[in-house]
Amino acid sequence: MEYGLRPLGREKFWLFALLTPTFIGLIFGALGSVLATVALSFANWDLLTPPTWAGLANYVNLFKDAKLLLSLTNTIKFSAMYVPGVVIISLLVAVLMNRKIRGVSLFRTAYFLPAVTSAVATALVWNMIYGKDTGILNFILERLGMQPVCWLCTENAMYAVVIVNIWGAIGEGMIIFLAGLTAIPREYYEAAEMDGANGFHQFFNITVPLITPSIFFQTLISTINAFQAYDYIYMLTRRGQGDSSVPVVVFSIYRNAWNFFNYGGASAQAIELTVIVAALMAFYFWLERRYVVYE
Amino acid sequence: MKRFLFILVIASLLLAGCGGAKTPAAGNQPVASSAPAVSTAPTEISMMMWGDPAELDVWNQIVADFHQANPNITVKVEVSDWDSYWTKLKTLLSAGTPPDVFAMDAPLYLDYQSRGVLLNLQPYLDKNPDMLNGVYPQTLEAYKTPDGMYGLPRDFQTIVLFYNKDMFDAAGVAYPTADWTYDDLRAAAKKLTKIGADGKVTQFGYSLDLWDFEPGMSEIIWSYGGDLINAEHTKTLVGAPKAREAFQFLHDMMFVDKSIPDTNTASEYGGDPFLAGVSAMTAFGHWVVPGYTDAKFNWDIAPMPNGPSGRATSVNSAGFVVGKASKNPDAAFEFLKYVLSEPAQTRLAELGFACPVLKSVAESDAFLKQKTQINQKIFLDSLAFAHMKPVFKGYDEWSSTIGDGMAPVWTGEAELGPTLDTVVPAADEVLANNQ
Repeated sequence: MEYGLRPLGREKFWLFALLTPTFIGLIFGALGSVLATVALSFANWDLLTPPTWAGLANYVNLFKDAKLLLSLTNTIKFSAMYVPGVVIISLLVAVLMNRKIRGVSLFRTAYFLPAVTSAVATALVWNMIYGKDTGILNFILERLGMQPVCWLCTENAMYAVVIVNIWGAIGEGMIIFLAGLTAIPREYYEAAEMDGANGFHQFFNITVPLITPSIFFQTLISTINAFQAYDYIYMLTRRGQGDSSVPVVVFSIYRNAWNFFNYGGASAQAIELTVIVAALMAFYFWLERRYVVYE
Repeated sequence: MKRFLFILVIASLLLAGCGGAKTPAAGNQPVASSAPAVSTAPTEISMMMWGDPAELDVWNQIVADFHQANPNITVKVEVSDWDSYWTKLKTLLSAGTPPDVFAMDAPLYLDYQSRGVLLNLQPYLDKNPDMLNGVYPQTLEAYKTPDGMYGLPRDFQTIVLFYNKDMFDAAGVAYPTADWTYDDLRAAAKKLTKIGADGKVTQFGYSLDLWDFEPGMSEIIWSYGGDLINAEHTKTLVGAPKAREAFQFLHDMMFVDKSIPDTNTASEYGGDPFLAGVSAMTAFGHWVVPGYTDAKFNWDIAPMPNGPSGRATSVNSAGFVVGKASKNPDAAFEFLKYVLSEPAQTRLAELGFACPVLKSVAESDAFLKQKTQINQKIFLDSLAFAHMKPVFKGYDEWSSTIGDGMAPVWTGEAELGPTLDTVVPAADEVLANNQ
């Protein structure tokens, strides 16, 4: 395990040399945008005429805008299902894919494919699966003698998009966990086997504790992705004029900025989203100190 | 892609933020506005529009023709899809480097004009008094402001009734006529609807794109004597009794007769059940004609039906405007003038996405005898009873507020009346914020 190693001498030079492009990008790209967003969140700006001072009006609106409040609720519900779903399922898939199975690379590729396929194309396929009268899923249900379900109607759409988003994220999660799993020394398992631990015990007493750094990282990444989820949701639930039956916060930010000439309001919403994610990150790092095991 | 959009919004904030510092490109030396209409120095102007590849081909031809007629002016055309077009345009405008000429959808025109980014074309129009003589006057209305016109139409859309002849023949129902009322439409739609033994509808009588008022909804509201918005654009009228009657009529067709698919069902057929061959009638503008050309059934068009308060349709136009920051306004206007000329309008007519605004071309074979053998004249005749699609500042947000609010009604998840009661005040608030 290399977590504790510090770079020495020439390594230090290369460390900074390789990080420089990222830092330049962050400082001149991200940092500038972040500052501009903060400044604009205190302004009335329609993009076309000079911005005027708005004070806290955009922030007060965060609590009054019905469309935004609905989007926030949706984002939180979505994240609450998506994050555990991605972490648990991709960990299980990674454990399966970490065995010596014939054609394991074929399976790994299959699980990773959604990550490299256009979200628009895969969402179209999911539309064919979820369709009420013409979908494959309902066709199967009816064959089994069950009532067809309107998967993308408002009451079910949230679950439907969570499933698609989890499905799309398993591949990336699997890669993270596979990296963590291969780093666990085989001897631990061999020793456990000799002591008579079954697979279940091995998983919870060896795999899970030793893979907590990967679980932590994957939870963090999934949370950020959950709060920014957009493409599958847009493709599966879009309505006219950029609306969705499950509008998440990104819908609100995008529409306010680009459709409603309300850049100030959109900036305040973006800040709100950032603050929520940052608060969650702080909570995660607190958990990390308590529970994550770095060997 | 997941983070792309988010980054895009953030990045454009930055771009827009520092745009003011940009200096004009070296090639764009300012041309004095007192220069003659056709400048003698070679000029290049940029033109931006939304559209698909077929449209780009035709516009490249129009631009080539224009260059032949005005060898000193070269036009660089850039085409994007609808959504990216507006994003790109707003970014360029806020950076102070808009294209010289760009496309405008009439309802959104005032959102730009009122923010002072468009060039007033009135001085040019005053110098060319005969220029608009041959243009349908209904298509010019949208661009008029108290201090003149800041844009000119290039083509227009009226909404008509499309019907699947094969379905009418099979059901033994007479084709829609110019005498049809909405009650006739409802009766015919009922006869054309097929409900299977399991209660599933396999064929619908009528289908509507219920996201926007323009195709099919504003028509029936006007025919029932209602309206969308008051003349001052301060009050939303879609909750008034007459409009409610019209909404109720469509609602009953959808949920009592089951002759109109709800929007969830419609989206299973790619959003257009008529094109998918499962709906016998629909209401749209000319923009669907090229797509319908490949339909595997016979179809034609009829005027929108009559209502208790007469017949109504909607007229909307797409046009061109000139950026106020344009360095070549004279050349830009020359191009706008050319777009309204017979050769350019003929090319647009042949493209077949819309109706030409120049009467002589609209009434010529170029428009009336297109590849698709339908009664094209109905699009033109509909102008006689057309209402203008509303044009006011804040249109996008207003129509989105109503569209979002009404969406659960058209999926069958919310009641019509109470929904209208909450949507109308929300829409009025948008209007108040945009005064």
